[in-house]
Amino acid sequence: MSSNTYRSALVAAMREAMEQNDKTMIIGQGVADFKGLFGTTLGLSEKYPTRVIETPLSEDAIAGICIGASLNGMYPINTHIRADFGLLIFNQLINLAAKYRYMFGGLFEVPLMMRMIIGRSWGQGAQHSQSLQSLLAHIPGLVVVMPSSPQSILESYKYAINNYKGPVIMLEHRLLYELEFEEQETRLVNPLFGSIKIRVGSDVTVVATSVMVLEAKRAAEHLEDFGISVEIIDLHSISHPDHDMILTSLRKTGKLIVADTSWTSYGVAAEINRIINESDPAILKSPPISLGMAPAPCPTAKSLEDLYYPDVHDLVESICRLHFGGNPNKIPLPAKQSMTDFYKHFKGPF
Amino acid sequence: MAEVNIQVTSSYHLRMIQEEELLYQALRIRLVEEKIIELYPTDQIQSPVHLSIGQEAVAVGVCANLSDDDWVFINYRGHAFYLAKGGPLPEFFAELMGKSGGLSKGKAGSMHLADPKHGVIGASAVVASTISHALGAALASKIRGESKRIFVANFGDGAMEQGVFFESLNFASLHKLPVLFLCEDNGLAVHTSRKDRQSFDIEKLVNAFGIPAITIEKGYDPHEIASLSKAAIDQVRDHSAPVFLRIRTVRYREHVGPGEDFAAGYRSEEAVTNWKSHDPLYEESERFTKYRKLISEEINKALDFAHASPVAKSEELLTDVI
Repeated sequence: MSSNTYRSALVAAMREAMEQNDKTMIIGQGVADFKGLFGTTLGLSEKYPTRVIETPLSEDAIAGICIGASLNGMYPINTHIRADFGLLIFNQLINLAAKYRYMFGGLFEVPLMMRMIIGRSWGQGAQHSQSLQSLLAHIPGLVVVMPSSPQSILESYKYAINNYKGPVIMLEHRLLYELEFEEQETRLVNPLFGSIKIRVGSDVTVVATSVMVLEAKRAAEHLEDFGISVEIIDLHSISHPDHDMILTSLRKTGKLIVADTSWTSYGVAAEINRIINESDPAILKSPPISLGMAPAPCPTAKSLEDLYYPDVHDLVESICRLHFGGNPNKIPLPAKQSMTDFYKHFKGPF
Repeated sequence: MAEVNIQVTSSYHLRMIQEEELLYQALRIRLVEEKIIELYPTDQIQSPVHLSIGQEAVAVGVCANLSDDDWVFINYRGHAFYLAKGGPLPEFFAELMGKSGGLSKGKAGSMHLADPKHGVIGASAVVASTISHALGAALASKIRGESKRIFVANFGDGAMEQGVFFESLNFASLHKLPVLFLCEDNGLAVHTSRKDRQSFDIEKLVNAFGIPAITIEKGYDPHEIASLSKAAIDQVRDHSAPVFLRIRTVRYREHVGPGEDFAAGYRSEEAVTNWKSHDPLYEESERFTKYRKLISEEINKALDFAHASPVAKSEELLTDVI
């Protein structure tokens, strides 16, 4: 049986991008070394030596080089082994790439992709762990996607590379890389825009991003045994989520939990609540709950890190609180087990 | 355009024709800038203008050696390069006035001029931020195996203090990219002189990356710039490797806006006056009278186009975002 991991989907997406489109170039720190960005670019530099480009540690220049190469007909894929390093390209990304098409009245297009990997666990600490989706999705002109499964990767990377003519940021989650997924059907017409209904339910809606989609599934499966029906929406396109899907779900359940990988204030949770409040505030039957990182930089110590991130335990507790107004039926919470312990495949060092 | 007798073919005369042409083009940009200075108080241009006045010869001299396939990446002080590279004048005024007849439909304005047809690939208002774009375009060209095409990163001396300048020197040298690093050195970053900003010797710095550095002192002389920059450009073209070219020049007006600001005391008016005494565009002669007349007619026609052009349309507010 062939592997269906998040990583294998990335390997396939990168290989296909290079094979099928001679405009594709992969450029970034580590893309041509013996580890090949967690294996996702391994072997490609030997096969395509002019189009797989190892770089100096010059994120700012490399991002601008990607824009210039894109203006001159290439499709650059720029990698950042931690999203935190992507902060060094914000000038190029926000001042230039996001604006090139609009600012020049449509004279230019800059199709390109930024792959940024979010770290978590094994003591990634304050600067190897940040989720930048809300900073980036705030900017008109950028498309920001958080794929939560191999299928999402295969669909959205292929579409971005072959069909979309602007800058796309793919926020990959390190914790998902080694996970085996079940095969899934193709789901999105335009995989850069819209969200995915992961699970149908009637009592509570969980809107989740990235790895939190998996935690929501664990919570939903746990609560199914106790008669609570949870609907899960994988937000997927952070910059262009499916408003109707969210509103339709809430018209049914009336109860909302947003489970994001980042901080909650001014973030995904705030945005989902804006969408609801501006469209149909009466559909919420009780105050919504936002789950995200604790409002602090990420601590390195495991004991603190386990408290820092929301997980299945927080989700189950929150769903019960919304459903019952507390936990009167004494539904047992899942054993408090940190995500890295649960997803045992991740053992570091990076 | 100056009228020339195309039957004259001796090399001496050809050189004379080119000199005339360069002077005419530089004067044309000068008169455009003077027109903007005249118009600015009327508020027809409701946006910051960073005038090229004083720096016209740089753009004209360098662009004389470039074709439409050679791309220039410019900045907010981009009037001279846009025009010298062939950008159309009527659309230029329309763009500055926020009219839909501008090449960027008024969304760009003075600070973001572009004309891809003539190889003007866009101006950024963030200092140094298009230098690396020239490298990327050159890299793409190299990957495709194109030859004889060059990419010009145009920036001021202030940009040399940005980290991306150092990063770009390194990458361009490492990958032997056909890039001309073109520094328009007016000695000022807004109101701050070089001595308060730079600890390095620029030529030694550039050489440390294995990149040859050339300085042209007479930045007022379009002919000298054309002939000396040709050598630098040929070197980039023939060897597919970067060259750094610095051209000393003088910004005649304030950093942004149409005025003079010598009264502020941050620089010497005398030095500027001295520089102007060498500036060939101040020539009083019969030929210049004729050129001025021809250019004024062209400018007036261009302004008619801009005035007649409708303002940027409301339906454009949300087009070309993604």
